Amino acid sequence: MISLSSVSKRFDGKRQVIALDAVNLQIEKGEMVSLVGPSGSGKSTLLNLIGGLDRPSEGDIRIDGTLLGGVSDDELTRIRRDKIGFIFQFFNLLPTLTCLENVSLPLHLRGWPATRINERARELLALVKLEKRLDHLPEELSGGERQRVAIARALSVYPPILLADEPTGNLDSHTGEEILALIRELHERLKATVLIVTHDRGVAEACPRQIALKDGHIVMDKKG
Amino acid sequence: MRLLKLISWQYVRKHLLRTMLTMAGIVLGVAVFVGMHTANQSVLSAFNKTVDRIAGATQLQITAGESGFDEEVLERVQSNPNVRVAVPVIEAVVNLNLKTQSNILVLAVDMTGDRSLREYDLEDGDETVIEDPLVFIAQPDSLMVTREFASANGLAINSKITLSAMDGPRTFTVRGIMKSSGLTSAFGGNLAIMDIYAAQKVFGRNRKFDRIDLAAAEGVSVPELQKQLAATLGPGFEVESPSARGKQFESLSSVYGMLANITSLFALFIGMFIIYNSFAIAVTQRRSEIGIVRALGATRGQIQALFLTESAVLGLVGASAGLLFGLGIARAISASLGNFLGEIYGVAQRADEVSSDPRLLLGALVMGVVTSVIAAWIPARSAASIDPVLALQKGRYQQLSKGENRVRRQMAAVLFVIVFFCLFFAQDRVIFYSGYFLTVIAGLLLVPTLALWLSKAIRPLMKGMRPVEGTLAADSLIQSPRRTSGAVSALALSIALVISLGGMARASYDSINEWMRIALNPDMFLTPTQNVTDRSFRFPASFAETIKQIPGVRLTQVVRNARVLFQGNPVMFVAIDIASLRRESYLPAIQGDSESMYRLAAAGKGFIVSDNFAELYKVKYNEPLQLNTPTGPLSLPVVGIVRDYSDQKGSVLIDRNVYMKYWNDDTINIVRVYLDANTTVAEMRARIEERVAGSTRLFILTNQDLKAYIIKITDQWFGLTYIQLAVAVLVAILGIINTLTVSITDRRRELGVLQAVGALRGQVRRTIWLEAIAIGVVGLLIGLLFGAVALYYSLEMSARDIAGLRLDYTYPWNMAVGLVPVIICAALFAALGPAEQAVRGGLVEALEYE
Ligand SMILES: Nc1ncnc2c1ncn2[C@@H]1O[C@H](COP(=O)(O)OP(=O)(O)OP(=O)(O)O)[C@@H](O)[C@H]1O
Ligand SMILES: [Mg+2]
Repeated sequence: MISLSSVSKRFDGKRQVIALDAVNLQIEKGEMVSLVGPSGSGKSTLLNLIGGLDRPSEGDIRIDGTLLGGVSDDELTRIRRDKIGFIFQFFNLLPTLTCLENVSLPLHLRGWPATRINERARELLALVKLEKRLDHLPEELSGGERQRVAIARALSVYPPILLADEPTGNLDSHTGEEILALIRELHERLKATVLIVTHDRGVAEACPRQIALKDGHIVMDKKG
Repeated sequence: MRLLKLISWQYVRKHLLRTMLTMAGIVLGVAVFVGMHTANQSVLSAFNKTVDRIAGATQLQITAGESGFDEEVLERVQSNPNVRVAVPVIEAVVNLNLKTQSNILVLAVDMTGDRSLREYDLEDGDETVIEDPLVFIAQPDSLMVTREFASANGLAINSKITLSAMDGPRTFTVRGIMKSSGLTSAFGGNLAIMDIYAAQKVFGRNRKFDRIDLAAAEGVSVPELQKQLAATLGPGFEVESPSARGKQFESLSSVYGMLANITSLFALFIGMFIIYNSFAIAVTQRRSEIGIVRALGATRGQIQALFLTESAVLGLVGASAGLLFGLGIARAISASLGNFLGEIYGVAQRADEVSSDPRLLLGALVMGVVTSVIAAWIPARSAASIDPVLALQKGRYQQLSKGENRVRRQMAAVLFVIVFFCLFFAQDRVIFYSGYFLTVIAGLLLVPTLALWLSKAIRPLMKGMRPVEGTLAADSLIQSPRRTSGAVSALALSIALVISLGGMARASYDSINEWMRIALNPDMFLTPTQNVTDRSFRFPASFAETIKQIPGVRLTQVVRNARVLFQGNPVMFVAIDIASLRRESYLPAIQGDSESMYRLAAAGKGFIVSDNFAELYKVKYNEPLQLNTPTGPLSLPVVGIVRDYSDQKGSVLIDRNVYMKYWNDDTINIVRVYLDANTTVAEMRARIEERVAGSTRLFILTNQDLKAYIIKITDQWFGLTYIQLAVAVLVAILGIINTLTVSITDRRRELGVLQAVGALRGQVRRTIWLEAIAIGVVGLLIGLLFGAVALYYSLEMSARDIAGLRLDYTYPWNMAVGLVPVIICAALFAALGPAEQAVRGGLVEALEYE
């Protein structure tokens, strides 16, 4: 499903930073993988590359067999839109839109008809147990609720891949567990491939496969 | 100062483009101010220079309006023992149809006496001409030209120039070429000297002079002599020093100066909003920075001073740029202004060099700085009020504008009440203008509220059009009224300006067309000059008789129009057979009874005045009008007021007999010809040409020709005001660009999220475009509303102080509709750059952007 072959990422600033160094990685369909490592080890960078938010300096990334290198920006967006759902640490909801509108956003962007969007968005908000908060603005929600909206948004097109960058990082441990449970449940029900970046040992160990990064290298890859 | 360098300079460097956009309003405002005023001054100073150069040693000049005066007056002046020398002058501007096609100022003098006032320094020519002026006079076909003019047109001694004169074509011989000296630089060097008695015939002036130039005898005080001459000649004559002539010219070009002021004021006013906007945004964005500086010990006063200094520097830089720009365009403007004044008032003048007044330039600089500082005042205050503790906390911005809108609405309400009362006492000039000013302020106070309402109202509409892009765009406006309202205000102001000018233009064209339909109904117009506003050549009285006898002519009316001094201002008098006018072109009286108006005026018992004359000189129906003519005072009542557009500064209609009697002038400017039903204009043209061919100077205008010419002049006039529109719209567009640039920085993260969840670049672009369109539409709607009010005030203003014309209020709907696509396109254009910027840049950074 996701395949990286000797992917490197360098940032050319005042000093060159090698965030990822020839990483090879294979993630199969339906896997649930956690990604751990010290701060600055390149976790977010890896996730952004897989999600097509950024492009690698070297190496190839394939999503569902499609090579990401060499496609146009808009093409990349289309791949992302069809195949990938993002969950961010800071939720990144649009503050002016209601829950329902936030969740509908990706569907609108794909040009779905309004009735179908409405149906799907309600269905998803029900799935994350927010059916009573449809018309609320993000600022009227708690952190956990916001993250659930963000998850609903990430799932709105039923993407085969779900990428989450520290989804629980900004939540207390109890809410964090709830969110994790939700992601697990969705993973099982929707058969989505899930990749979670986390600092939380509990979250990491809850995943069937665990990968650790250090200084841009994979230093551990353990299943079961 | 160190603080300024440390903090502000960094910010400016980072936001260079935005800083430049912010200054744009100041740059344009100052540029227009400097450009137009410098042009005006250049033309004026060229005029003064010409007067001055031509005056030579002249100490006093005697004139009697345009009609001139009899030769006998000269003798009276010369017989005064205190007068050392007095010489007659005729001045006219003609086109000699030479190579350069430029107009030339013909100075016609009596060479015998003139040399004691003016120096004719000949570099080349018949020795005898130089030695003995009588030779020049003995050959009345002599002409002297300047070296410049001769070289430019390939003339040399004994070159022949044919001039179509009132008594047929005349051939002149160049008998002298003047060395470059003081005199020759008059009128840009395009000067020719002619014998005055020849000129009387050439220009059809009968035995009359335009002017007497004189110098006082040794030891006689000039002011004393001035008083003495004024007393002996009577009030019909003006005895002035040459420099006083500039005043009259100034009064003609004053409307133009006023226009310049209005334009630059508007540009600066709009620019002020852009600056206010930028500073308000900067304060919000630099909140935490200000918090840190405050925490480190800066006082509130220091913070406020920091922002005000920043704005002053900005204003100074902007104003300096505007100054240079303005001086750059002054030359082009002065050229067109010279032509324009010539066409409208018949006072040709050319400015070959731009002269700038240091006071004007300094004033412009001060104006730029003051505007900028005023605009930054409120943002600077809110910057000073930033709480360091709150500012350093992450998260939501400190609400700097809480409750602002309510306060604004309340203030606006109070102002509107005051304005309402001002309308009742609007006769008073101060109250009227205060009312206007307060209306503008009240309107501006309401802009944020109106903008918010409108944005909310169009949100569903935009959502319907484009669910994602439309909603986000509308929300962007709703969420940050502070960011938007500056741009909306600027746009609304300029739209209001467009509407009020457009409305005025339309009303003017409507009225002028109506007037032309009634007053200009002859089939043909015959004039001795190339255009009807020029009056340097005149037909003799007998000319009308000649025309009348041509078969096919049903009727002729002769017109003599001349600028006559009234209360020291040159006012257009139109002398015509009123009884005939009543039969053929019945203009109804808007004050007074039409029938008795025509009856009394035809009997020589009254003046008919135009409404703009009545308005400008505060003349009332039935009141007597006192006038000083060359033969003594003339006092007649105003028997009626009509809508007449013969002249922008107002016109007075009198019966031809009265004019001939008091001004002793039977010459003719225009012959109005009505044809028999079965004669065509083409046939008549052929007959007229056949009859008078070669025997007189003649231009034939058909009814359409004249109307087209008048519309052309009107177009030119409004063409000048359209510069205002262009400036206003340009500044408003810059405002939109500025707002959008800020908007995309502010919303960088939001736009990043949008792309992360699958928005294509096209979709992001569309969001920005739609935001721009929304700003455009909101500004347009508010502007159209404000325009309705502004139009009322403009019409009042033009009636009271500019043209004196009372025009009917009609909202220019077609223009309003026409503005919709213009503004939408302009807004889209403004959005192009920012939209590109929004889709460029890394996504990852955008998502992390705080
Ligand atoms: N835009 C950038 N420009 C320069 N360097 C960058 C950029 N983004 C990341 N880096 C560098 O790349 C390295 C990896 O960063 P990354 O954000 O992937 O770390 P991380 O593992 O996600 O850390 P954390 O756990 O703190 O989120 C870091 O050393 C960081 O400084
Ligand atoms: Mg990270």
